[in-house]
Order: sequence, then structure tokens, then C-alpha cells
Amino acid sequence: MQRALLVLWVSVAAISQAQVADLENPGSVSAIQERPFRMKHELDLSFGVLPIDAFYVGLYGQVGYTAHFSDTVAWQIGRAAYNYAAQTGLRKELETRYGVIPTAQDEVQFFLGSDLIWTPLHLKFAVLNRWVLHGEVFLITGATVFKFTNSFRPAVNVGLGARVVLTPNVGFRLDVTDNVVIQASSTAAPVMNVMATTLSLAINFGAAE
Amino acid sequence: MSALKSRLVAFFVLGSSMSFAQGAAAALADAGVGDAAAVAAAGSAPTGAAPPATPAAAQPRKIDPRIFDSALNDYFTGHPKDAAPKLFDYTENLPSTDENYAWAQFFLAKSLIELNLRHAGAVYLARIARERSNPAVLPKALEELQKLTDLPHDEVMIDEQVFGALDLGFLPEEVAGYAHYQQGLVDLRVGNERWATTHFSKLTEGSAEASRAKYAMLVTRLRSAKRDLPKEMVDQFFELAKDEKLTQEARNDAVLAVARLRYEQQDFKGALEAYGLVKLAELDTGRATLYLEEAWTRYQLGQVHAAMGLLTTLDAPSFREEFLPDKYLLKALIYRDLCHYLPAKRSAKELTRKYAESLEAVREREDLTTDNRLLRAASARGTTKRARKFLESLELEGEQLGRYAGTFGDRMFGYMTRLYDLARAEGQRVYAERLNASVRVEADKLLRAAEQVRLMEYEVGLKLYERVKRGSKLVPLLEEEPVKPDQVAFKFVDEYWNDELRDYRFSLKSRCIEETAR
Amino acid sequence: MLRVLVAVSVLGSAQAWAQVEEPTVMNAVQERTYRMQHELSLGVGVLPLDPYSKGIYAQFAYTAHFSDTFAWQVARGAYNYTAKTSLRSQIERDFGFLPTAFDEIQFFVGTNVVWTPIYGKLSVADRWDVHGEVFLTAGATLFSYTRVFRPGVNLGLGGRVFLSRALSLRFDLADNVVIPVGASAPNLGNVMELTLSLALNLGATE
Repeated sequence: MQRALLVLWVSVAAISQAQVADLENPGSVSAIQERPFRMKHELDLSFGVLPIDAFYVGLYGQVGYTAHFSDTVAWQIGRAAYNYAAQTGLRKELETRYGVIPTAQDEVQFFLGSDLIWTPLHLKFAVLNRWVLHGEVFLITGATVFKFTNSFRPAVNVGLGARVVLTPNVGFRLDVTDNVVIQASSTAAPVMNVMATTLSLAINFGAAE
Repeated sequence: MSALKSRLVAFFVLGSSMSFAQGAAAALADAGVGDAAAVAAAGSAPTGAAPPATPAAAQPRKIDPRIFDSALNDYFTGHPKDAAPKLFDYTENLPSTDENYAWAQFFLAKSLIELNLRHAGAVYLARIARERSNPAVLPKALEELQKLTDLPHDEVMIDEQVFGALDLGFLPEEVAGYAHYQQGLVDLRVGNERWATTHFSKLTEGSAEASRAKYAMLVTRLRSAKRDLPKEMVDQFFELAKDEKLTQEARNDAVLAVARLRYEQQDFKGALEAYGLVKLAELDTGRATLYLEEAWTRYQLGQVHAAMGLLTTLDAPSFREEFLPDKYLLKALIYRDLCHYLPAKRSAKELTRKYAESLEAVREREDLTTDNRLLRAASARGTTKRARKFLESLELEGEQLGRYAGTFGDRMFGYMTRLYDLARAEGQRVYAERLNASVRVEADKLLRAAEQVRLMEYEVGLKLYERVKRGSKLVPLLEEEPVKPDQVAFKFVDEYWNDELRDYRFSLKSRCIEETAR
Repeated sequence: MLRVLVAVSVLGSAQAWAQVEEPTVMNAVQERTYRMQHELSLGVGVLPLDPYSKGIYAQFAYTAHFSDTFAWQVARGAYNYTAKTSLRSQIERDFGFLPTAFDEIQFFVGTNVVWTPIYGKLSVADRWDVHGEVFLTAGATLFSYTRVFRPGVNLGLGGRVFLSRALSLRFDLADNVVIPVGASAPNLGNVMELTLSLALNLGATE
């Protein structure tokens, strides 16, 4: 009972405090600005890395096109990337240090995909408190087909990205996605992860301010 | 020596235009005799009409004229600190009829300017303009003087006594334009519009001075307009606002003039349109008066939420020291109109609280220039601000002079010190005179706002205790515009982003009861 | 009266046009809401690069912020738990190597300089704002391996999301270049750290 009274007393005090604050400074203020950029037809020229595999690091160049239907919804209609597998030296280390010869690894050669993009967050930041830049943060989900050394495999990808706009027509975009690759039934694991980190130069056509 | 002389000639030829060369030749014919007499007179008998704030010269001593060549060599090789004392010795010890005398003055002035002793340089340039001992030097000196007017400078010495009093027949076009403009302004100030028009008509159509002259004429007519403003006056200001030959600040001022005039004509929509045309540099906070005036305009149009948003801008650190008693009054009015009476009373009281000391100083008839707020407000605008800036620049240059004590030598250093002391004393006098007048204007503004706030408090007090009649209901909410798809909103959390300062919008529900609502 | 005031103000400005104001430095943000002072952070992280062992660690750190852009992570210490990868398990199982054949990180300590050039905010549904900053780090770390200590130099990138003036979430990504010490050391090694911390800001000022 005493505890209940104490809780009640504290709550009443808090509520009345809030009401006093409301009386002293009623109302709220927002800064409402015209969007500094509107995306329309986006062409991306990118390079990226596939960092997860222990035996190689994939370095790829990619081209993509995204159609923006609104400020929040877009469809990355198509993207295509060609990968170069840079060996990590693990294979050599296994041979020299442990006398082990690993079996031939499947490496990503190229991949194609399509994604849906949802942009709920508008971003604004100050650089060295001198310049103000705008951008956005988005979620990305879609499907990719990977061509490995010996096979094609589909994947589902989910990721996060951010865009920084330099002018209404030019910006940079960073995507970090995880592709869950569906493996052939003969392999031990049914799925494997291929993480892709892509940095793009985004060119926006038909941009309206 | 011949190499130095040829360098001097090359400097002269390259730096001047053909028209100047022709004008100089013509000027020799009609100005030479008169100038020689003037130089002789100036040299022999400095009178009360002589240029202000120049200390008396010491007795001349014999020096080698080759010091001039050595000084020029120092100047052209980038050593003004070494050139200055030599040129000073030259000008102090050789007669003004010496062929290089005026050039020595000119390069001494240039050296001093390069050493950031701009006022001292300006004194020598003004001397060249008055003495006219060498017509070839005069246009160059005037060009340099004109450049100095871009920064805080002695307006009496340069604008009034040099440009305002010049014989303009022989000057190159650019300098002549500036001189005509200055002389026109002087005429306008003493109320002689016809003579001003004569000067302004000589300005090249399409030049920056011509645009400024139009502005000055419009302002003079505005002052003298008896009752209704002619409509074309607002349009003429508007034309100036689009004139690309003016600086952006000048165009902004013209647009503000349009806005203010439209406000006075109760064309609030037109006034708002004009405020929207004020262009600020990226991340420029702008001027407090712009936001306050726009807030009043929006209030008159019933856009209370946008008006309150602009008042939020005035709470930003960059405007916190601004003297804006009207801000509290407008805030109180808006809260009152939304029937939030306690905040209205609080906002009104904020004025009397914040400016308590200033109000006390006014009531007690103290020296208003000792009140910090009033002093800051009075020094922040117009002629008082210019006088303050000039005084500050003199003080800074006076301090910098100390660095050259050793290089200049006792004689020159002593002369410069006295020159700056005299200039500072005169600058202080001018500043004090202007400050006394402007501080009264600010005090008057404060008193009017305080009186209106008292009325507001009384009115709000009545409203607070007014009975609510049976059957009363809340007025329909003022529709706030929702955020459009092409807009983005950031909630304000006491953090001021400079690019948002014009975009704040306030959101508050009205508490008015229908039968008693405004 | 207003007309006279208008005339006075515009005439005053006519003269002022001739004079150019000294350019002032334009700040983008006045009166930042979130300012760091003394930061204590408690975090968890992973060491994902080693193909034989993945590390999961807990870290504690103290950072002194001297200004909005410059700070010194005076000290950080982390204790690491090593999880074997399937590759290592296979090597141990199929080829008879002992666990001691693999160098594991046990703990590490370090110090970093932090430079924060970016401060920003996100608008969420036009209703809420989330403030944050992005920083770069550089410093030194000392790793304790199974049998030996190895120093490293690190460069990194990080971000912070402010939950309140006193609390924030901090994310660090740093790559350590480890200097080989000891007979069994490989050439220069890379140890990448990914850390997520909860940071407490003491003495937070406006």
C-alpha cells in the first residue's frame, strides 16, 4: 500500500511538472524545408568487395539502374557485377604451415540482381561545422543470381544503405547487403552467406527540385 | 637609377588607361598653375582648413635624393617596411616642388597600406589630392583612395573633403563616377536635390554608381513625400532590387525597402513576397531585423504559426545580443491570439525582465551610452556603426604601429603616433556624437515596446479571469499545413542549423472559446 | 513616422554599401544539443578476420573529448573469447594438430585519437529526429596472444547515435596492423575489430 502511494505521488509530481513545462513553453517547433533533392532515374557506377570468404576477397565492378517512384519507394530494376577473386593467402598458409591441401573452392565470378528500396529516413549533416550535406538512409531487399566457378546459385539479399547527395544530380551511395545463397542439395550446408559492400557514384537523371 | 626610373615609368603606363593619359595632359594645362599655387600655399601656411589630424612637420634636413630610388627598389622587391621610412625622410626633407615629391608621397602611402596602416596611407593619398603637385600622380592616388572606401575609413577626409570637393574634369571614368556619386550624396544630405541630380546625371548609365544614385534619390523622395507614397516609388525600388550591377547586399536592402513600404501600405502579401526575395549566402544567418519584420508581416496575414517560427529563429545564439524588444511583444500577441494567456503574460514580462537595467537607466535619466544593451544596439546600425568600425580600425592600426617602432626610426614613428592619436581623438568625438543621437532612438524604441507590453499584460490579465459563458465551445482549430511530400521536417531541439533559420514552423493548438475569441 | 524610419534605415545602408564587411566564418550549427565530455563505454565486439578463430570480446573504454571534433580514447581494454571455426576444427580433427598450434588473442589494450568531422541528424517520419556523428580513429593496440604480446597500429571509422545527452550507442570498425613478434609469427597480420558500445557521457554540457 505504501509503495503504491509512493508510486502515485511520484507520478503525479512528474505529470504536474510536465504540465508546468507545457504551460511555460507550449507548442513545438519544426524546421520544414523543401527537399534539396528528388531522385528519379538513378544510374549507379560502383565498385565493391565480397569480404567474407576466408580464401579470397572478391573485388567487383557493378552497374545498376534504379527507378524512384516516390521519395520513399524505389526499384533497383537491375544490377550487374563482375568479380575478381583476390586470393587471401590462406591456401598457401595451409599448405606451408599445416601441410594441408584444401579442395578447390567455388568463387564468385559475376552476379545479377534486382532489389526493392525503401527510404524512410532523410539525413542532414554538417562537415566540420562549415558545410551542410543531405542524404538518406534506406533498406534494401531483393534477389541475386550468383555465378560461381561451377554453378549458378540464387540468393535472397537484405541490406542497409545510405546516400549522400553532392548536387541534385550527383551523389555517393553505400550499400551493405547480405546475400543468403541457396546451396546445391549435395553440399553440407543448405545456405551460405555472401556479404557485399558496394560504393557507388549515383547519377540522377530527370531530377526535380 | 635609370633602371628604377624606367620601372617607375612602366608602373605608371601599365597602370593607367589611355583616357587617363589624355586627361592628364589636359589637366596640366588648366590645373598646373592653380595647383602650383595651391601647393605653395599649402606648403607655406597650414591653416585651420588644412586636412585634419596631421601633426606639424619637423625642421627639414639635408638628405641624398638617391634615397628615393633605394626606397622604390625596396617597395618593388616586396619590402614596404624598408621603403616607408626612406620615403618618409624624402617627403619630410625635400620641397614639394621636387619632381619626385608626389611620387614619394604616393609610394609612402602604398607602403603604409601594405603594412596595414591604412589610415596613415589614406592621409598621404588625401594630401596628394589636395596639393596636386604632380597631376600624373593624382588619378592613381584617387584610385587607391577609392579602394580604401571599401573598408572603414575617415569619411570626412576622404568622401567629403577629397571626392566631395574635387574638380572632376580630368579624372578617369571610374574615379569620376565615384566622385560624382559622392558629391551628389553630399548635396542630397544638405537638401539640394537639384545639384545632386546634376551630378548623378553625369554618371554612366548602367554603372554601379548610377544604380546607387537612383537608390539615394528614391530615399530622399521617400523622406520628403507628404502623405501617400507614389506607387511608382515602390516599383522603382523593386527595379533596383533586380539590378545586377549592385552588390547582393545592396539589392537586399532595396528589396527590404520594398517590403517595408508595402507593409506601410498594408499590402502584407506584397511585403511577404518581397521578404522572400532577400537572398542570403549559404549558411548566412542573415539579419535579425529581416526575421522580425517578416514575423510581423506574417502575423498581420494571420500566419501565426509561421510568425512564431521566425521568432524562434531570433532566439539563436547569433541573434541573442540583438536589441529586439518588439520580439517579446509579438510573441505575447501570438500567445494571446491563441488564448494561451499565461505564456502571453510571461513573454510580455520577459521584455521588462531582460531590459530592466536599460529601462531603469532611461527612467533615471542616466547617461544612456553607459548602458551596455543600448550602447550595443545604437552602435550596430547606420552611421554610428561606421564610426565605431573606423574607430576600432584606428585602434588596431595604432597597436600595429608599435611593431614598426624600430624600423621606422624615432622621427617617423613619433609622427605616425601623433597622427594616429589625433585621428583617434577625432574618431572618438565623431563616434560619441553619433552615438548620443542613435542611443536616444533605441531608448525610444524600448520605451514604446515597454508601454505596449504593459497594455498587453493588462489585457491578458482581464482575459485570464473572464467568465466562460454556458454553451461556449472551442473555436475550430487553425488549420496547420501538413508536411507535403516534397518537404522534409526536422523537429527542433534547441539546436539551430543555419540553413533552417527561415524555415521554422510553430505548432500550437488554440485554446480560445468561440464566443470570446478574436 | 514609419516612413522616416524606413528612409533613415535605407539611407544609412546606402552609405554602407561602399564598405565591405570583413567576412565572418559561417558555422553550420549553432548551439549543438549533443556534446560529449567524459565518455565511458561498455561494448561487445567481434574479431572476424582470422580464418581459424573468431573472437568475441567485451570492451571497456574511457574517452576524453576536448572539443566537438577532437577526442582521445585514453584507454580501452577488452577480453576476448575465441570460438573455433569449422576450418580449424577440421584441421585439428583430420590432421591431428593440437589447439596450441593456433595463436589466439586473449585480451588487448589500446589507446586512440578520435577525430569527429561529421555531426548530423536523421528525420524519422517527419516527426522525430535522431542525432549522430561519424568519426575516424587512429591509435595503437597491444594484443596478448597465447604465448606472446604483439603491438599493432590501428586505423578505424565509427559512428555514434545519441539516445540522450547522456547516453549514446557507438559503433567502431578498426583494422589493426599487427607487428610480428615471436618465432611463430606470420608476416604483418590484420586484426579487424567490430565493436558496438553503450556510451555514458559524463559532464555533458550544452
